[in-house]
Amino acid sequence: MTKSVSITRRLVVTVLFLELLSAVALIGAITVHEWRVQLKVFDASLVATAESLMGAVQDTEDEADTVMLDMRGVRVSKDAAFRVEDERGKVLGSALDPPRLETEASGTPVFRNIEVGSQGYRFLVLKGLRIVDPGQPNGGVQHSITIVYGTPSRHLWHEVFEAIRFFAIATAFLMGITAFVMAWLVRKGLSPVHELAREAERISSSDWQFHAPISAKETVELQPLAAALEAALARLQRSFEQQRRFTSDAAHELKTDVAIVKSSLQLLSMRKRTLEEYGQGLALSLEDFTRLESTVQKMLTLARLEQPPESCNSSRAPQYCSLRDTIEDAVHQSKPFAELRSIEVRMEFTGDVKVPIDSRDALLLCSNILLNALQHSPEGSTVIIAVHADEGIVQLTVRDQGEGISEEDRASVFEPFYRGDPSRSRKSGGTGLGLSICKAISERVGGSIEIANHPAGGAIVTVRLPAEVMASASTLSSSLKAE
Amino acid sequence: MRVLLVEDEQRLAENIVAALRETGLAVDHAADGETGSHLAEQDIYDAIVLDLMLPGKNGQRVLQDLRRRKLHTPVLILTAQENKESVVSLLNAGADDYLSKPFDLGELLARIKALIRRAKGVSTPVLVVSDLELNTVQQTVSRRGRSLDLSPTEYRILEYLMHRPRAVVSQRELLEHLYDFDWEHHSNVIEAHISNLRRKLNVNGSEPLIETLRHRGYRLREGGAQ
Repeated sequence: MTKSVSITRRLVVTVLFLELLSAVALIGAITVHEWRVQLKVFDASLVATAESLMGAVQDTEDEADTVMLDMRGVRVSKDAAFRVEDERGKVLGSALDPPRLETEASGTPVFRNIEVGSQGYRFLVLKGLRIVDPGQPNGGVQHSITIVYGTPSRHLWHEVFEAIRFFAIATAFLMGITAFVMAWLVRKGLSPVHELAREAERISSSDWQFHAPISAKETVELQPLAAALEAALARLQRSFEQQRRFTSDAAHELKTDVAIVKSSLQLLSMRKRTLEEYGQGLALSLEDFTRLESTVQKMLTLARLEQPPESCNSSRAPQYCSLRDTIEDAVHQSKPFAELRSIEVRMEFTGDVKVPIDSRDALLLCSNILLNALQHSPEGSTVIIAVHADEGIVQLTVRDQGEGISEEDRASVFEPFYRGDPSRSRKSGGTGLGLSICKAISERVGGSIEIANHPAGGAIVTVRLPAEVMASASTLSSSLKAE
Repeated sequence: MRVLLVEDEQRLAENIVAALRETGLAVDHAADGETGSHLAEQDIYDAIVLDLMLPGKNGQRVLQDLRRRKLHTPVLILTAQENKESVVSLLNAGADDYLSKPFDLGELLARIKALIRRAKGVSTPVLVVSDLELNTVQQTVSRRGRSLDLSPTEYRILEYLMHRPRAVVSQRELLEHLYDFDWEHHSNVIEAHISNLRRKLNVNGSEPLIETLRHRGYRLREGGAQ
């Protein structure tokens, strides 16, 4: 079973994952930051309370000039632990009995985190001077006061946790919204894909029209796909239509030939005829039948040639034949026709080459091109066949001195059943398969065929075929005058 | 009766022409659309057999041009295409009948004859004018039950006249409809044939059927026996 992948799901999951990662990083950063801020606030409040305790240390107004703690006006939280001592270790006031903390005698406040009972406390140790009767000549009595003040640090943690919780809830909420919005957006963003698919679904063998929807064409990511689809379908449609035209043309051609044979025989049997009439009628019918046979033969040849070569003879090594011998055969074959119209066929060879075509097809190729040239040659003109071999490729050109070829015909002259001149009837035109067969033979071995107008007038057919040079490569020129 | 065949396929045309002539029809052949169109518009044909795929001008256009000129000659289309749409569009364009290739020669002849008959307002192959009977299939003529032996030309003249009883038919019309371009045109040939025909139609003192109207032509009388 193939695994199906949803782009929507992937995108949403990716985005949510990234969002989660950044949220975790953000919460981490916020925790550190919040901890610091809260600690600063906490410490400031410890210092402030300790300072106010310090301020509450009063002169007891006795001879010993001792000090006392006056708690009036000092607000200390209920769970706070503190102890105020003077320099002799006399406790002026305390609550919850905080531990004794060793501190060096310096003015700067010292903070300590200590466990009291089961609670974590943060203590501040503050040392300060208290001078009793500073206005006296001896400068008064100095009392160095040590204040240890602490409050449970869980408040601190509580604040930080509150902040984290707020951000976590906000993140979860945002992720939920993101998931919905993303899913909706991605689906909306992918709607051109669905439209493209719907459009493509309408294609059937009878309706090849395909126009990519505008939404797909406007989507940058879909443009290549839409264009490729359109192009591929246009190509398919063209080839499909070519096939259809071929079938229809072939049917037309065969029906006409069959109609001739049938009518010839039916005419003969319309009434009783003399032996001589029967003889003539049969001869004509046979001629008509031969034409039908040749049409079928050509169609079968074309069908055979258009089949991929692998399926025919993959096991056999490619057959080679001499191009020169083949051309000479073709010229010999067409000699009566050339002589009839006193056309000279001249051959110009530069050596001989082997072409990877079996001799039967090679002869078909050469004689079809030659016959085409002869058909388009005026009486008394010359047809020139030239062969030029060059590094694995041989170029065969057949040039006539006829009226040349129009641009319109050039494009379609190799299509099956195409007859150049629409005013030409079947009588003179043959079946219109000759050049198609040539094209099929050339392309089967990876060669090419084209027709053009020669600058000096007349049409020139050029066939390029892969070739191997044969032993003798001496320049030869021979001429065959058909008189 | 004279038929025009427009068909570019030489051998097929030869066969159809031969068959049509053997059944007593005069036939002209055009090998391309333009010649066919030109001949058809002379309005001298009793039926036209038209191929569709023609060089120069296709059959459909030949037909359309003919109908545009208000010529109502019956047209039978020969086609190698068989799709229904083309048949429908052809009939809508003014064709009277069609036959797809390869067709049966006998069927083609029968259809052409039927087309000619219908165009002349007759629906059976046996034509009857008073006591004269003419069978267009067997090409036999009888009067008062007695069969008459006519030459092919005499038969054709009588057939043409019997298709148009009581109408005055000029010598020129007879020439146009009975002979194709392969024949020499001589009006006195017609006169000779008419006089032979008159003689042969005269069965034991019956009324003469063919009237001669000086400088106008001939007329087949109906009900002349009464």
